[in-house]
Amino acid sequence: MTPARTPSTPAIPANGHPAKRSKKSKNGHSNGSTRFYGIPMPGVNTEELSGSLIVVEGTDGSGRSTQISLLTEWLEGEGFAVQTMGLRRSFLVGEDIDALLAENAVTRMTLALMYGTDFFDQLERRILPALRSGLIVLADRYIFTLIARAAVRGIGRDYLHGIYEIALRPDLTFWLDVRPEVAFDREFKKSQTISYWESGRDMSLSNDLFQSFIRYQSMIKREFEYLSKRHGFLELDGEQSVAEVNGKLRKRIASHLGIQSTHYKPSHALAHLWR
Amino acid sequence: MATATQNIPVAPQVVPEKVAAPKRAYPGALVVVEGIDGSGKSTQLYLLKRWLEIGGYRIHFTEWNSSPLVKSATRRGKQRRLLTPTTFSMLHAADFADRCERQILPLLHGGYLVLADRYVYTAFARDAARGCAPRWLRNLYSFAPVPDITFYFRAPLEVAVTRIVAGRPKLKYYEAGMDLGISLDRSESFRIFQERILNNYDQMVETDNFVLMDGTVRVNKLQKQMRQLLTERVDLKQFAPKKK
Repeated sequence: MTPARTPSTPAIPANGHPAKRSKKSKNGHSNGSTRFYGIPMPGVNTEELSGSLIVVEGTDGSGRSTQISLLTEWLEGEGFAVQTMGLRRSFLVGEDIDALLAENAVTRMTLALMYGTDFFDQLERRILPALRSGLIVLADRYIFTLIARAAVRGIGRDYLHGIYEIALRPDLTFWLDVRPEVAFDREFKKSQTISYWESGRDMSLSNDLFQSFIRYQSMIKREFEYLSKRHGFLELDGEQSVAEVNGKLRKRIASHLGIQSTHYKPSHALAHLWR
Repeated sequence: MATATQNIPVAPQVVPEKVAAPKRAYPGALVVVEGIDGSGKSTQLYLLKRWLEIGGYRIHFTEWNSSPLVKSATRRGKQRRLLTPTTFSMLHAADFADRCERQILPLLHGGYLVLADRYVYTAFARDAARGCAPRWLRNLYSFAPVPDITFYFRAPLEVAVTRIVAGRPKLKYYEAGMDLGISLDRSESFRIFQERILNNYDQMVETDNFVLMDGTVRVNKLQKQMRQLLTERVDLKQFAPKKK
């Protein structure tokens, strides 16, 4: 298109996000444009979005899913309705991505764009409707994992940020940081093996699965360090106990949502997670 | 446990290899036809392909939206009308990426003359007509190699629309742009949607060096022009059958 047709919206500002967010009004958000990284997604009226989007990011084995289960129970106990999202859960292409991963025939760009499709389908059909209804959306991973995985495979970071500039900016983004060796222990304990994709075997890093896993997860971690600086993540030490990490998450979320007490004890159903 | 790190080699630095159009880093050539439905582009590319095939040239023909890898998702999305402007665009980009990485780029590197019926400009024109931001679209497809020549077939809106409506029992939902809610009448919606697309194409004549082809000219005469232009712009000798 000609430049005249291009809206003069700024690209994702490096580091600009925490400062901008603090300007938002108490109940909702002052200005539509700051709710997106760059150009707003077509057809979205940000005035209607009264809920909160809270993202928990981290590599495989960082404890994200455990924390999200616990946070969901805590928030529901406090009377907040919760919607969750995660990778490959879209109705549109979730199963197609599973099939692509199983075949190992897919190339990096196609996979990156299929994950993008999956993300935007969930954003439009799950997250935005929930936010319009005033729900708390807990996202088990967000655009950052997608950017990190594609970037370590050689796809340009600017290109990736360009795709996700129409994504909604989260209210809070937590990063559960763990060392790759700790992640290895946890993942191995969970499934008694290490998966093809978690060890980045498509990248031919090493024939030794342990080495491959460590090298791949180290590369991902490095991307997260960069993303954390760029987007102002709230970093938490994911190697602390589940209870400790959960306490820190609750404290920050409580202050964001205006919840007075952060007291929480998991129910019997979730007690096994509380180690 | 954590001491294991000591002997582990440092992860290789990710070279931020820019996924941008390579500057002719391959011996092949890419020929593209673009234009709205009913502009005559597919007929003309077919004739061009036949000419080259008969001459024994090293060619490959590729179509927009034909990759088996994402076909089921595209079909599901269209049948159930799940697609928004963004997911419509993303899914087509994924489809194109598959074709690009597994077909177009290897063929260009292997020295083929690749003929493409529609290319990224279809997405630029059509998805922008649906409301996607042009800058976002340009970035999304920035990994695509730039064509050596892009023939833009232009027919007046009424001519093109009449050709399509006459030849098809029923216009499909997305094809007619019904998702935009412009009009409840499919033919009317189709006409307005195509008009927007046509306007977007027209703007790319200059920005993307389109070779303008008059879609109202007689088929054989237009084909003669097309062959002439191709010969001028692309060194066909390098794709000719090799003599032993």
